Amino acid sequence: MQEVLRLQNLQKSFGSVRALKKASLTLKEGEVVALLGDNGAGKSTLIKAISGVFPIDRGDIYVRGEKVSIRTTREAMDLGIETIHQDTSLAPDLSIARNLFLGREPVNLKWLGVFAPLDRAKLRNAASELLKRVGISKKLDADALVSTLSGGERQSIAISRAMQFAAKVIILDEPTNNLGVEETHGVLRFVKEMREAGHSVLLITHNIHHVFEVADRIIVMRRGEIVAEQTVADTDLLTVESLITGADLSALMKRAQ
Amino acid sequence: MRSPQFSSFVILVVLLVVFGIADSNFLSPLNISNMMAFLPELGIIALGMTLLLTAGEFDLSVGAVFGLAPVVAMLLVQNAGLDIGVALLAGLLLCIAIGAINGVIVTKIGISSFLVTLSMLLIVRGAALYITQGFPLKSWDQPGFFVTLLAGSFNIGAFRFYTSLWWFIGLSLLAVYILRYAKLGNWISAIGSNRNAAVARGVPADAVKIWLFILTSVLAGLAGMISAFRISAASPVAGTGYELEVIAMVVVGGTALTGGRGTILGTVVGALMLRAIRNGIVLVGVPGLAYNIFVGVIILAMLILHALLQKNAARS
Repeated sequence: MQEVLRLQNLQKSFGSVRALKKASLTLKEGEVVALLGDNGAGKSTLIKAISGVFPIDRGDIYVRGEKVSIRTTREAMDLGIETIHQDTSLAPDLSIARNLFLGREPVNLKWLGVFAPLDRAKLRNAASELLKRVGISKKLDADALVSTLSGGERQSIAISRAMQFAAKVIILDEPTNNLGVEETHGVLRFVKEMREAGHSVLLITHNIHHVFEVADRIIVMRRGEIVAEQTVADTDLLTVESLITGADLSALMKRAQ
Repeated sequence: MRSPQFSSFVILVVLLVVFGIADSNFLSPLNISNMMAFLPELGIIALGMTLLLTAGEFDLSVGAVFGLAPVVAMLLVQNAGLDIGVALLAGLLLCIAIGAINGVIVTKIGISSFLVTLSMLLIVRGAALYITQGFPLKSWDQPGFFVTLLAGSFNIGAFRFYTSLWWFIGLSLLAVYILRYAKLGNWISAIGSNRNAAVARGVPADAVKIWLFILTSVLAGLAGMISAFRISAASPVAGTGYELEVIAMVVVGGTALTGGRGTILGTVVGALMLRAIRNGIVLVGVPGLAYNIFVGVIILAMLILHALLQKNAARS
């Protein structure tokens, strides 16, 4: 499998706090990688750096082997890196169609710049098409306001938006937070579909069970560093948990037995 | 019934009927002409305020800018001997600067627009009073291009309309286009609805907000100039209290004070409504000093009605 994203020795400090100390990882095509770690481990900092929320202090980012610099969210999107943040990815007062194309609106009379009229027919059709493709067309109307949707439906919309722009890398930040059981399964199914469609997924989550359900590989962070990297097939829940907390849980368990 | 501007429209019709029955002069050509003369001046500011509120910010300095812009222009003509056109342009440039300062402080330093524009209100009003020493100036009254452009009048039958009405209609159409049909409108609503989501999609939220502050300021200045030309006087206290009246027009029309949902048609209805109320309650004989009580009560009643209608719509 071809390498899609490679991070080399990324560093980021906020004042005297070193949030990220030399983090390196690679992501291959069609691979789901779970990024695990306790609160404050540096997961958010890492994904924010990749998605262009803030620039990194030191280190290199390669997309398909080419060295790139990512300073804004726009630059990340243009490189094919789409990030879905927890709860904050959609504008509730806008329709589904308008949300799907936010920032990349199809327009007529392009020379008018920001004053160009939206191509409403194209907007609607593309949105309906997309909703159909992701299997939620029966329930949802492209003109419905996002504020009328459930949490799971919103996640689905955000994820389909990322898939639609043929993103090479899709970053999911706690995608199942605040979701019901059924909705959670819907989102996990989506993750599998993304992998099948050839997207690479970086999944940030607290729920280790989800990781074993969908991920190919696990990367564990602790105190701003990547402390372990394992394929899901070669590890188990207890090992991963002890890697996250830093305590040797399996040894403890053995002793207890 | 679901759209907020529609319920506003219904309320407006009810008000017009009630006032029309209460006093037969209310719907007379003279009175309608009178209302239409005042309407554009606040209405033009309300258009800018609608866009700004939709993006999640608001501007309390518009009333003061309304006063300062024509005062500066007239001082430049009378004391510096500048051409009237150049002076008006200088007045508008000052508005651009005021709007830009508001916008930059709000977005880049991160102070709430309430505090920033409240301070700006004091600075701008203070400046207008100081440079005029508190005295109103005589405005430009020589017939010519600019008087016709800003305050010319024409008759249609028994009605007498000012060119400012054309400004209002034209700017309203432009604002409807921007908010509903243009890419920019999508951005404005998205920023007010969820700024982080918009920024994450690459929408330049800060730049959009700064330009909207500039637009609102320029429209306030333009409205001030129109008003000064119409009454042939530029007063440093003109526009006092307009900021709240304008915000009332906008929210009564159905635009959300919290951002994300804005309607220009609603604002036009809201502007008509507040004008009709101010005019109507004078005609039906409410004592002058009690008059603001009534305006306040009617606005509050309308907002409550709005909220109830919205709630019902949400439930069904």
